Amino acid sequence: MSNDSSNDSSNDSEVNADATTMVGNREVIITLEHVVKRFGDFTALNDVNLRVGRKEVVVVIGPSGSGKSTLIRCINRLEQHDEGRILVDGTELSDDIRNIQEIRRETGMVFQQFNLFPHLSVIDNITLAPRQVRRMPKREAMALGRELLEQVKIPEQAYKYPRQLSGGQQQRVAIARALAMKPKVMLFDEPTSALDPEMINEVLDTMKDLATEGMTMIVVTHEMTFAREVADRVVFMAEGSIVEVGTPEHFFTNPREERTKLFLSQIL
Amino acid sequence: MTAAATSHPVRPPFWRDVRVLRWVFQIVVLAVVALVLAWLYSNYRTNVARTKIPTNFKFLDRPANFEIPGNGMSQTAPVRNALVQGLLNTLRVAVAGLILATVLGTLIGIGRLSKNAVIRALCTVYVETIRNIPLLLLLLFANLGLVLQVLPRLTNAWQPLGIAVFSNRGIAIPWYVGSGWTLLAIITIGIIGARLVALWRQNAFDRTGAPARTGLWSAAVFVATTAIGWIAFGYHVTTPEVAERITIGGMRLDPSFFALLFALVVYTASHIAEIVRGSIQAVDRGQDEAAQALAFSGFQRLWFVVLPQAFRIAVPPLGNQYLNLIKNSSLGAAISYFELTNVTQISVANSSPPVPAFALALAVYLVISLVVSGLVNVWNRRLALVTR
Amino acid sequence: MNSPTRMSRFRAWARHNLFRTWPDGIVTVVFGSLAIYVALRLLNYVFVTGRWDVVRRNLKLLLVGRFPDDELYKVVIAVAVSALWGGVLAGLVIGRQRRAGTYIEQPKTPAKHIGLLVARFWPILAGVAVLLALSESFGPWIATLVIAASALAGRAVGLTVAGPVSSAPLPVKAILGLVLAAVPLVAVVALANVTGWDDWGGFMVNLTIAAAAIVLCFPLGVLLALGRASKLPLLKATCTAYIEIFRGSPLFVLLLLANNALEFFVPRSIAPGVVVRAVIVFTLFTAAYVAEIVRGGLQSVPPGQDEAAKALGLSPARTTLLITMPQALRNVIPAQIGQFISLFKDVTLAGTAMGVFDLLNVGRGITKQPEFAGLRLDVESLAFVALLFWVGSYTMSRESQRLEKKLGVGT
Repeated sequence: MSNDSSNDSSNDSEVNADATTMVGNREVIITLEHVVKRFGDFTALNDVNLRVGRKEVVVVIGPSGSGKSTLIRCINRLEQHDEGRILVDGTELSDDIRNIQEIRRETGMVFQQFNLFPHLSVIDNITLAPRQVRRMPKREAMALGRELLEQVKIPEQAYKYPRQLSGGQQQRVAIARALAMKPKVMLFDEPTSALDPEMINEVLDTMKDLATEGMTMIVVTHEMTFAREVADRVVFMAEGSIVEVGTPEHFFTNPREERTKLFLSQIL
Repeated sequence: MTAAATSHPVRPPFWRDVRVLRWVFQIVVLAVVALVLAWLYSNYRTNVARTKIPTNFKFLDRPANFEIPGNGMSQTAPVRNALVQGLLNTLRVAVAGLILATVLGTLIGIGRLSKNAVIRALCTVYVETIRNIPLLLLLLFANLGLVLQVLPRLTNAWQPLGIAVFSNRGIAIPWYVGSGWTLLAIITIGIIGARLVALWRQNAFDRTGAPARTGLWSAAVFVATTAIGWIAFGYHVTTPEVAERITIGGMRLDPSFFALLFALVVYTASHIAEIVRGSIQAVDRGQDEAAQALAFSGFQRLWFVVLPQAFRIAVPPLGNQYLNLIKNSSLGAAISYFELTNVTQISVANSSPPVPAFALALAVYLVISLVVSGLVNVWNRRLALVTR
Repeated sequence: MNSPTRMSRFRAWARHNLFRTWPDGIVTVVFGSLAIYVALRLLNYVFVTGRWDVVRRNLKLLLVGRFPDDELYKVVIAVAVSALWGGVLAGLVIGRQRRAGTYIEQPKTPAKHIGLLVARFWPILAGVAVLLALSESFGPWIATLVIAASALAGRAVGLTVAGPVSSAPLPVKAILGLVLAAVPLVAVVALANVTGWDDWGGFMVNLTIAAAAIVLCFPLGVLLALGRASKLPLLKATCTAYIEIFRGSPLFVLLLLANNALEFFVPRSIAPGVVVRAVIVFTLFTAAYVAEIVRGGLQSVPPGQDEAAKALGLSPARTTLLITMPQALRNVIPAQIGQFISLFKDVTLAGTAMGVFDLLNVGRGITKQPEFAGLRLDVESLAFVALLFWVGSYTMSRESQRLEKKLGVGT
């Protein structure tokens, strides 16, 4: 496991931004090196390099089709990268089935469409993976489930079914479900894009709490206020490459690249 | 950070490699299947050796030893001729059945959505009764009714207007005399001509605004072409008359053909009616409402907006029903209609080897199925709405 | 004053539905009178001119074939046990729904309750009424009472134990599940021991062959669907080939082939009888259709479900078993029931192709009995057969539609 903690920010001169520089003195937990992903003729990820440190919150933004979802889906092998290396907490992502399973245990993912299991109750949704994958006994799992529901502030919904909950509640259950596996990294794929406006904040608040507690998070989102308030670094992607990286202050007030400026002018 | 070329991850040991595991699993499954097939085959060989029934296809060349009524095939013709006749009979009843069932089914399907309560009720009763009884039962009823009890004997045959003869020997209708293929060609040319004229008239309308009257022009071209061809090739029509024990002239349709056709049409139409009804109801109500807002009349809404979209939805299940009708024609054996299955069965009874014979029949049905479902797939794909 | 408002409501309905325009009115009158005429002729036939003795005398033959008379009570017991079992299942399901708060019930008076039951089950009630009207002894009456009572008792039992069963630990649930599944099997096997399979006949054999085939074909169908949906090329090709071959072949021809040729493919010692051969063919045939239905179900499960399960670290086997399959199967329950109804009707083909003594075959045979031969009683006999099939099929299809609405799935 590499203990690289380079702190220099002197790479400003490079056009293809170096996202391998982290903020602060952190241990690297996720590494992407020269990752390429193609869908037929279309290149979704074009030589992407990124390093994420423990407890770091990285927010990935960019126009649609820029490859941001593909990026995090490659990390837990929902997409298979064609070239390059991906390492999660020292384990390399490869065709080795044991590695894949291990990485999936250590990463949690929250989807745009929630993807809760409709035929299971809320508490069963949360406790399924710990019981089946980590072989947790039922009593312990139920206790864990109730604790997590408290954490996302909907303990009373335990025995309801997903279709009986609002969108915001469902997404919070999804977050609890991912947390039940005690992952080292949480991946968020546009978690609030499918929500009605009045429910976005309850989910973002939950995510903010997670960040405060020190969870390593990679968040793909369009919510710029979240990026400004919570992110340690903001990564801007376009057309499959990382265009610019920086702290929120640097990024939103003083972007370097033209492409970045164009994007920000369109959304802010 | 090395700017190295792409580096591949270390290859995992093969018993954990996802790709190896996939192939191993497949090979194991196939090995099991192969073993089962091998066991079946070895049993087949031992049993066949014991009973000394041949297992090749030479039986096709041996004389049939039975007759197929209605087409003058002699008893000594080889089995393959009989099978071909059987296939033609299957196709006859299938094509007629498909057309009639579609027409009837569509009418009843639309009828179930009618504003008139009596029509609605009658159509519902039709569908719910017919759909819930077995086809074989319907077939026996039809056979009973048409063949044994309803139609009079030849001596008292019913001859409406002197142009047709209805008796328990069949229904004889006026028919043309001449080559069927040529007539088909003439009609096809007529249709193509009509289509071209329609396009021309539409083009003229778009350019000059002169009334298109495509209907009139196309009809005129079709009729003219067919008439010219008819006269040029010397076709004429004969009407049937009652002779001693048969009818002369015209074309005689077997009573069992009718019974099978009747049963197939009535049965399949009930399923088609449900498909049509379901597909009309599946068209978004918003479509109908938008059309209303644009001041379309009821009929116009149906014809221009709802039915085209309903049709798109209906094609796959409709294709399924067509396949079912073709396969159901094999029930002709139950009422002595000499379609392919019946002929195969009779030839097996006349000492053709059963396994090759029935396997051959199955293969023919499979080919027909594949062709029809291929056509339906092509049709479906052409109709499919392109989505983003 | 109730009458005027009811009358005016009816008038309004009639104006809207029957006489909206002039052509509409004419259509109503013409088709309406035609329909009434046909209905009257039909009623006349059924109650006055029809000669129903052929059915009356052969009721037993039609229902259970050549089952020995003195063992008939065993059939009634078997059916009653099945009714009990069905009732228990229904009770368990309703009880579970009540606990979860998803069972929608409106308070109703006993009269309304009975009214609703009649409206729901009138085809069965009509069928039973016809059977009883045609019976010549007290046996059928007693049998009906016993079976109805068992069903109701089973339902009550199911409702009362639903609570404790739901909260029982998993091993207990598994054992109970196995017992429940085994009951119909035991009943059937016990009956089979009374007389050989090939003496079974009538309606009973239609139901048994259909039930056996649908139970046996289900695992095969699910495996085929999974095989076809998998990305492994060899597996996919094999399963697709099986499915397309059986779906493209007419069932009748397969039955003929099996009748003539099945004994070639198995060693002499285990050459199966006619009923077993029929079950084998129906199983293999229906499995292909079930595979397509399940494949549709698998496609109807959103891909996000599979992704969520993967992201949680669930293995592919567990994902399929716990997440994908339950949703897929639930989505296609109406189609499955439709397939069973088709199968139920198709068993008649085995009668013609293989000589199985099914209801239709019996119906054709009884008109050739010495005392009825030559009397042209085929219509009566076939009409009765049609009624039985219609009642069975229509009931199942109505229940399936009801289930569809409750589950909120299907078209």
